[in-house]
Amino acid sequence: MERGGFHGYRKLSVNNTTPSPPGLAANFLMAEGSMRPPEFNQPNKTSNGGEEECTVREQDRFMPIANVIRIMRRILPAHAKISDDSKETIQECVSEYISFITGEANERCQREQRKTITAEDVLWAMSKLGFDDYIEPLTLYLHRYRELEGERGVSCSAGSVSMTNGLVVKRPNGTMTEYGAYGPVPGIHMAQYHYRHQNGFVFSGNEPNSKMSGSSSGASGARVEVFPTQQHKY
Amino acid sequence: MDTNNQQPPPSAAGIPPPPPGTTISAAGGGASYHHLLQQQQQQLQLFWTYQRQEIEQVNDFKNHQLPLARIKKIMKADEDVRMISAEAPILFAKACELFILELTIRSWLHAEENKRRTLQKNDIAAAITRTDIFDFLVDIVPRDEIKDEAAVLGGGMVVAPTASGVPYYYPPMGQPAGPGGMMIGRPAMDPNGVYVQPPSQAWQSVWQTSTGTGDDVSYGSGGSSGQGNLDGQG
Repeated sequence: MERGGFHGYRKLSVNNTTPSPPGLAANFLMAEGSMRPPEFNQPNKTSNGGEEECTVREQDRFMPIANVIRIMRRILPAHAKISDDSKETIQECVSEYISFITGEANERCQREQRKTITAEDVLWAMSKLGFDDYIEPLTLYLHRYRELEGERGVSCSAGSVSMTNGLVVKRPNGTMTEYGAYGPVPGIHMAQYHYRHQNGFVFSGNEPNSKMSGSSSGASGARVEVFPTQQHKY
Repeated sequence: MDTNNQQPPPSAAGIPPPPPGTTISAAGGGASYHHLLQQQQQQLQLFWTYQRQEIEQVNDFKNHQLPLARIKKIMKADEDVRMISAEAPILFAKACELFILELTIRSWLHAEENKRRTLQKNDIAAAITRTDIFDFLVDIVPRDEIKDEAAVLGGGMVVAPTASGVPYYYPPMGQPAGPGGMMIGRPAMDPNGVYVQPPSQAWQSVWQTSTGTGDDVSYGSGGSSGQGNLDGQG
């Protein structure tokens, strides 16, 4: 039986009909001139829009089940058993979680005329979608990663601190410095327009949203509304 | 900017607004159920406190619990996603860990309510139903799983008749069968933090054990691990 439930592909039907966002001259110039290490960005778009599913293997759509089980066992008591269907269900949930957060983070990127999804975008998306408990440990994790592994300067740390407050803070200089673009060029600014993407539901990034749960419910409702067909494995 | 997009759709009107900080909705049970909810919330709060302490001890970012290449592939399954910074999959690796842990502990609490020691798919369905931030996962679990949950909640701690009769799902053919498809990483660094609360719960003792040596947990659940390996072999 074919395994259903990977909802990342259902978004393609909406994305294909979305017109490309209008680009400003400065942003276009900046985007064209940006130099990025190839190891960081690997845009492999060799597949057609309609045959996206064929190019992704089954085992690549989920996290390895052994890793998932190992993480589950860290929190379960020793006498607990895990049924096979629950192992697979958690696998599917993780992939759905990654796609869910990535979709929201990508929306923010496109609104700000950026091409690269950063860690800050991921944190912002989690806060937007109601995963408030995750922000503090993940900000701390990112902080420590940059202290121990990264050679980046103060701007990234400041960014992390800003994200802790839950505010939508723009860091054009930090972002550009990180990706080797023109640092002093103030090309990024919040566009005052929006278009339908991902879930077919657009949240305003300009206004701080005090009702995260409301946003989460809204997003979930919108998802159900836009894609009424549910996939079952039977 | 059009602020109507932030309004929750009519389908979300039936969702009760969850209190901030906690997403467990009380189902109108008796006093014992209220007490149980308090216990569950305490366990979840302890879980987040422990996660923060554990992250403070992290000093090895090379060995992740989840493979970064797989995370990146799932992120790029969305054709709209263009470029991903190097930090985003690293942050997602930790975020998915937290997600798996939270979903597992919420599911296990439901299994404990039903006096079972095997985590089943309907336990995951119950956790998804009870947690607002997991609304995006509703499509992952079939409708009858949620009906079981509704029956349990409606009956007031009565075990659903089909709780142990969950239909077995045939494992997919795409399971990784060789060492090439699996990535075995070293366990996370053991934190030296002390517990603020005595380990009165079963899973807390598991944490204490795992902080010393990770292998103890593996030995304790040798049978289940063997079963997992068999599944991995296909």
